[in-house]
Amino acid sequence: MGKLEGKVAVITASTRSIGRAIAEIYLSEGAKVVVSGRSAEKGEQALSEMNAGENAHFIACDAVNQSEVESLIDETVKHFGKLDIVVLNAGGIMGAAPVAEMTDEVWNHALDINLNHTFWGMRKALGHMIPQESGRIIAMSSMEGKLAKATLSNYTSNKHAINGLVKVAAHEVGTLGITVNAILPGLVLTDMFYESMPATAETMGVTLEEAADMFTQPAAIKRPNTVEEVAAVALMLARDEARNITGCLFPVDGGTMPY
Amino acid sequence: MGELDGRVACVTGGTRGIGRAIAEAFLEEGAQVVINGRSPEKGEQALSEVGAGENLHFISGDVTDQAVCESLVDQTVEHFGKIDIMVNNAGGGGDAAPLVDMSDEIWNFVLNWNLNHPMWCMRRALKYMIPQEWGRIINISSMYGKTVIPTNSHYVTTKHGLNGLTKVVAHEVGAMGITVNALCPGGILTDVMNSDGRVAAEALGMEFQEFLDMMAAPSAIKRLNEVEDVSLVAVLLASDAGAGISGSLINVDGGQVPY
Repeated sequence: MGKLEGKVAVITASTRSIGRAIAEIYLSEGAKVVVSGRSAEKGEQALSEMNAGENAHFIACDAVNQSEVESLIDETVKHFGKLDIVVLNAGGIMGAAPVAEMTDEVWNHALDINLNHTFWGMRKALGHMIPQESGRIIAMSSMEGKLAKATLSNYTSNKHAINGLVKVAAHEVGTLGITVNAILPGLVLTDMFYESMPATAETMGVTLEEAADMFTQPAAIKRPNTVEEVAAVALMLARDEARNITGCLFPVDGGTMPY
Repeated sequence: MGELDGRVACVTGGTRGIGRAIAEAFLEEGAQVVINGRSPEKGEQALSEVGAGENLHFISGDVTDQAVCESLVDQTVEHFGKIDIMVNNAGGGGDAAPLVDMSDEIWNFVLNWNLNHPMWCMRRALKYMIPQEWGRIINISSMYGKTVIPTNSHYVTTKHGLNGLTKVVAHEVGAMGITVNALCPGGILTDVMNSDGRVAAEALGMEFQEFLDMMAAPSAIKRLNEVEDVSLVAVLLASDAGAGISGSLINVDGGQVPY
C-alpha cells in the first residue's frame, strides 16, 4: 500500500531534476502524476524513462504563461478526474546583475516563472480543492527565500514572496482540509544549475566552483543537497497524515539558514 | 522494509504523549527503541501497550539529573549495541508566574528539563555517533522556542535556548554524517499540557479550555496539533533521506509561527 494511493498530483517543471524526483517518488507511492515542462520531447523522454504506464501523463506547460499554467491544472483534473496534490516547482535564477543594472525584461520574466506561476497554479488548484475539502499545495521556494546574495535580486525577492504567499494561503484554507507549504532547498546540482550558473558566476566574478562553494560552505553539511532529499519532504507533506502541517517553510538546506 | 531498519533510537519522555508517538512510529519503521521516563510503572504500561517485544526497551530515570541522562545513553548502547537516533523529547513547564514572581526552584528545574537534559544527552550521544559517522539528533522544542507566552519565561527561554543549541551542534558535526534538528510543535493536549497547561492557564487568569483555544486560534488549522504530526516529521528526519536537513527548526504548528 503506497502512501499516496489513489491521489492525483501535478508537478510543474518535472521532466528533470527536483520535479522529476518528486514525480518518481509520488509514482512509487501509488499516485497518478501529471508531469509537465516546456519541451514535449523531454516530456516523452521522461515518461519513457519513468516507465509508469498510464499512471504518468505529460502535459506541456511553459510556467511563464498564465493560461498554460491554469490550463495545466484543469487538464490534470480532466485527465485523472480530480486533483489532490500540486507541486509548483518551476523557477530559476536568471539574468544575474546588480539591481542598478537589472532590466525590466529579466525582472518580469523571473517574476512570472518564480512567483506568478506559483500564484496562478495555486489559485486555480484551490478552485478544485476547496469544494472537495482536501488538498496539498507545495511551493518550491529556496533558502534564498530567507537569505540574500548580491546580483540575485529577482530570484531572491521572488522566493521571499513565495514564502509570504504560502503563509497567507495556508491561513485562508487552513480549516478546509487543505495545506499549503513551501520547501526551501539549499544548492542542488540540477541541470538548471549547470545551465544558468556559469553566467551567474561570471557576473559575480567567481568561478563556477567558487559559486557552488558560496552556497555550500555556509551549510552545516558542507555539501549540496540532493533531489532525493527534497523529494522525501515533498512526499511527507503530500500525505494525508500531514494534515496539520501547513504554512510551514520547510528547510532542506543542510543547516544554512539559521532561522 | 522500514525506513529505519537496523537503527537504534533513544527517546526521553517516551512513555506517553509525543515521545510515545515517536517511539511507536520508529518501531513501525523497523528501529529498536529505548524509551525513558520517570515512572517504572508507566514504563511497564507503555511496553505492554505497544507490544513490540524485544524491540522496545524501557529505562527509568529523571532526565533533570545529569547522571541519569548520561547513563541513559550508555545503557542504550549496552542494550542494543549502538545508538543512531537520540530524541530529546522530555520537557515541560510548571509553576507559571510573571518573571518578578518566578522562583529559583522552578527556573532551575525547567532549565534542567528543557535545556540541560538535551545538552547532556546530545553530548553523550555524540561520543558514539562521531566515531560511527552517522547519527540523528532530534530535539523536541516548541513554537514557544520562536514565539512567546506570558508567565512562562522559564519555558520560553529554555526552548529558545534549545533552538540555539541545535543550530550550533548541527554546524559542529554537519560534515560527519550527523544531523541535529529541532521540531517546534504547536499546542498538543498531552499529559504534560494537561498538568502544566492548567497551571499556566490559572496564572493567566483563564479557564483551561480558553487557554487551549488561545493556543489554537492563531494557527491556520484553528485546532491543536496531535502527537502524530510530530512523529511524522521525526521519522523523516531520522531516515537516510533526512541526511540533508540539519540545523533546522521545523514548525509543526498548523501554520502558527510565520518564521
